Amino acid sequence: MLFVLASILIFIAAINYAVSLAFGLAFLMIAVFILSILYAFNNLNQLKLEGLASPPVYCGEAAGFKVLISRMADRRHESLELVFPDGATTHADLVSLDQQEVTVFVPTTRRGEFKAPRLRITTFYPLGLCRAWSVVDLNLQCLVYPKPITFVMNEFNSGSSGNDDAAISKEGSEDFYGLREYVVGDPMRQVAWKNVARGQGMQVKQFVDYVDDRLWLDWDMFYGFSTEERLSRLCYCVLQLSRANKPYGLRIPGITIPPASGVGQRNKILRQLALFEGGA
Amino acid sequence: MDIALQIPRNALIWTLVAVVAVMLPQVTRMPSWVIFIAAMCVAWRLLIYAGKLDFPGRLLRTGLVIFTLILTMTQIRNIGVGLDSAASLLALGFVFKLIEMRYKRDIYIVISLCFVMTLVIFLYSQSALTTLYVGLTVTIIISAMIALNRSGIVNDNRGTAMLAARMVLQAIPLTVVLFMVFPRIAPLWAVPLPSGGGMTGVSDEMSPGDLAMLGRSADLAFRAQFEGDSAPGHEDLYWRGLVLDNYDGFTWSRTRSNSAFDNAMDTADFRFRWEGRVETSGEPVNYNIILEPTRQPWVFGLHLAEPASRNLNQTRNFEMFNSGLITQRISYDVTSYMENQTDLILLSYARRRSLQLPEGGNEQSRQFAEQLRASVASDMDYANAVLAHFRTNEFFYSLNPPLLGDNRVDDFLFNTQEGFCEHYASTFAFLMRAAGIPTRVVVGYHGAEYNRFENYMMVYQYNAHAWNEIWIEGQGWVRMDPTGAVSPDRIRLGVEAALRNDPAFMDQSLFSAARLGGINWLNNLRLRLDAIEYEWNRRVVNYDEDVQIEIFEQFFGDVTERKVLIVLFVMAAIAIGGVGLTIINLRPTHHRTQADKLYFKVSKELARIGLARNKGEGPLSYRDRVVAQRPELKNEMDTFVGHYLALTYQSKSGGEGSRSELATLRSAALQLRRRLPPLRRFGIRAG
Repeated sequence: MLFVLASILIFIAAINYAVSLAFGLAFLMIAVFILSILYAFNNLNQLKLEGLASPPVYCGEAAGFKVLISRMADRRHESLELVFPDGATTHADLVSLDQQEVTVFVPTTRRGEFKAPRLRITTFYPLGLCRAWSVVDLNLQCLVYPKPITFVMNEFNSGSSGNDDAAISKEGSEDFYGLREYVVGDPMRQVAWKNVARGQGMQVKQFVDYVDDRLWLDWDMFYGFSTEERLSRLCYCVLQLSRANKPYGLRIPGITIPPASGVGQRNKILRQLALFEGGA
Repeated sequence: MDIALQIPRNALIWTLVAVVAVMLPQVTRMPSWVIFIAAMCVAWRLLIYAGKLDFPGRLLRTGLVIFTLILTMTQIRNIGVGLDSAASLLALGFVFKLIEMRYKRDIYIVISLCFVMTLVIFLYSQSALTTLYVGLTVTIIISAMIALNRSGIVNDNRGTAMLAARMVLQAIPLTVVLFMVFPRIAPLWAVPLPSGGGMTGVSDEMSPGDLAMLGRSADLAFRAQFEGDSAPGHEDLYWRGLVLDNYDGFTWSRTRSNSAFDNAMDTADFRFRWEGRVETSGEPVNYNIILEPTRQPWVFGLHLAEPASRNLNQTRNFEMFNSGLITQRISYDVTSYMENQTDLILLSYARRRSLQLPEGGNEQSRQFAEQLRASVASDMDYANAVLAHFRTNEFFYSLNPPLLGDNRVDDFLFNTQEGFCEHYASTFAFLMRAAGIPTRVVVGYHGAEYNRFENYMMVYQYNAHAWNEIWIEGQGWVRMDPTGAVSPDRIRLGVEAALRNDPAFMDQSLFSAARLGGINWLNNLRLRLDAIEYEWNRRVVNYDEDVQIEIFEQFFGDVTERKVLIVLFVMAAIAIGGVGLTIINLRPTHHRTQADKLYFKVSKELARIGLARNKGEGPLSYRDRVVAQRPELKNEMDTFVGHYLALTYQSKSGGEGSRSELATLRSAALQLRRRLPPLRRFGIRAG
């Protein structure tokens, strides 16, 4: 802007002082300005962008999408700025290398399959007088795991060993165990309506899970929480157990993954947590 | 601080170089304290760069601003408001910005000011050399802009400079189009330009020693180019300037009109009586003169010269005046009549003016004049007798004549007998007037140096000359040059030849015609450089509205607004388009070697049998995959891929392959393709 202002100033001075070459100077500046548009365009021209597989992130973190920029032989592309809407700008140069992998970040707000918005690639090179840009859809996707929520996990860490048939119980959903008095907040689903009809008052059916040393991460472990909160806690469990290298399985509505350990199991389960739809 | 807002270190250095480059031509023109402050600021910024100093604090900045204001006020009181003080103020603001620039935004301000400072360079000089320098400066400024937009990691100053130079060169076609076609606008308000401090040249007063002073200078007075081959010979090159008809015994001066009324009367008188006063014969000579700035209004022309340019007008004595002081080089066209008679009837007031002499003094000369006049029959004979007196007696032509006493004419005529042209012209006029012949002194230039490279004449200050015009019944004003009687070489060959052995001649200039005349190639170089400068002035610097319209009419006929716009847009589009093709790559530049082409061809044919090459699949894995699926191709495939790899990665010819290597590969490809089912309808083309 200042550049244009300066050229106008020079032009006016050229008129007033009737200095021929000052006209020339003003026109040279205008010509350079016009050429800088072409140069900026050419700085993006024939640049190739490719979306690469991007690692999953936990919700709330910035998803780093990997983009491979490559150039034709004998071309140079400098001062490229890649940015997603609301994301941070990543700078890149393609000068000595033929291709380069850059990571462009965008914040995530919800779990699941995250389809990246369209990527904007911008350059002010060479003169900074004008901006060339292009908006591309690289079909970039990344998996967003639920955000892990920390809590104290002593409950099912302790005493999880024992004989097979010993029904070490805890509140669960598998098998009917007995009845207890209704407490405000219990789900209506578990109220023993038959007993209510018999006039025995509000009673709630109790279920238990039989726990063996292979831990089951169960949907109902976080009874009373919302779906997202449950998923977040399950996610935390997965991370902790995976770190401790213990075998564990997952049981959430519609999905059951038998216990196992290792990175493969972790990723498999986190993926299910990320993609979980429905809920209580 | 966001890294994106910071100034890359390379950009800072480029900017400082640009600042120095734009300030450099101003060094001699600006007050020394401005230069001092500028140097301090650049040094300070360099120390900040090196990490040895910090940015100035708020207190210091305020102090600097107040200090500058005070200095500027005093300067304006001393030298007045003008371009000089404005340029100084601009320069100060500019260098102060330098020490407080931290972010990219600041550097853009400095860069824009750099451009404005280059404008200031042009306001003072528009020579070809200056233009080259400004071109260099603009390249440096653009380099700074590029460096600013490159990431800090790319440390490639040479590349930056090359790109800037490329951009400037590529911008030239469009600049030329805009320069030629873009309509020039008349000044919105008139601003006088400062003169470039040029020589005043011939003035409207002539005291002894004045012209001799000019004789020491080799500055250019003007250049003249004649139409066709009409240039007169050297002895006829009397560039008439001013007519001095007022003599006070020491100084000859131009009779100045006392009032605007007189001036108007002069002009009206002239216009009214031009036809009655002038008789011309022979072909008129047309020529163009480019006059260096003189800060005076008068201009020069040969003999009886009639101005053809708008801003010039003529006086009663056929002098030519510009409508304003000449503070810049001007170009004007003149028509001269080499054979002419003026004022066949001399009006009484003019006669009175042309006979006026101081009351007393120089009795010996007056006596000499009376005696000589009485001894001959006519006024003309008398004039010739005086010339003969100069010729036959021991008179010398010199730049360093001895000082003259109170009776100057007597002293010169009978005692020293040595002088420059003004002494002869002055003495001659005195002797004429003393004998009752109307006489006046004419000052101007005589002679010229011919520049054969561009066919024009160069007239220098040392060509300054004074001669006389006497009025003869029946002939009008007749030119008389007493210097020619003393030194015929001066008229025939020029002042250089006449004063070759005079040490005072042009002693102010180091490089000059006379000094370099002896060294042939140097002299040629000098003439060539001047020819460039001349053409530059004639074609570029003097390109104005008039020339623009003239050229436009020549190519496109009548000038209409619509037509100008169309021509402007079409030519600009051609310029941008043409240059654009050199900037933007339209075709894919992917370069494939012969071997690559063959390899792709084969893989395409393999694709027909369902064995397409996968993206990013290397030749070896491709081969293995093909062989796994079609074991019968193993031999051919192994040979082909082996040759391909050897040629591409092991060959000494760097992937292109020698003739024999390519032939081997070709035959391998052919072998392989023979094994494939003939899929093409027209059979397999070999190779």
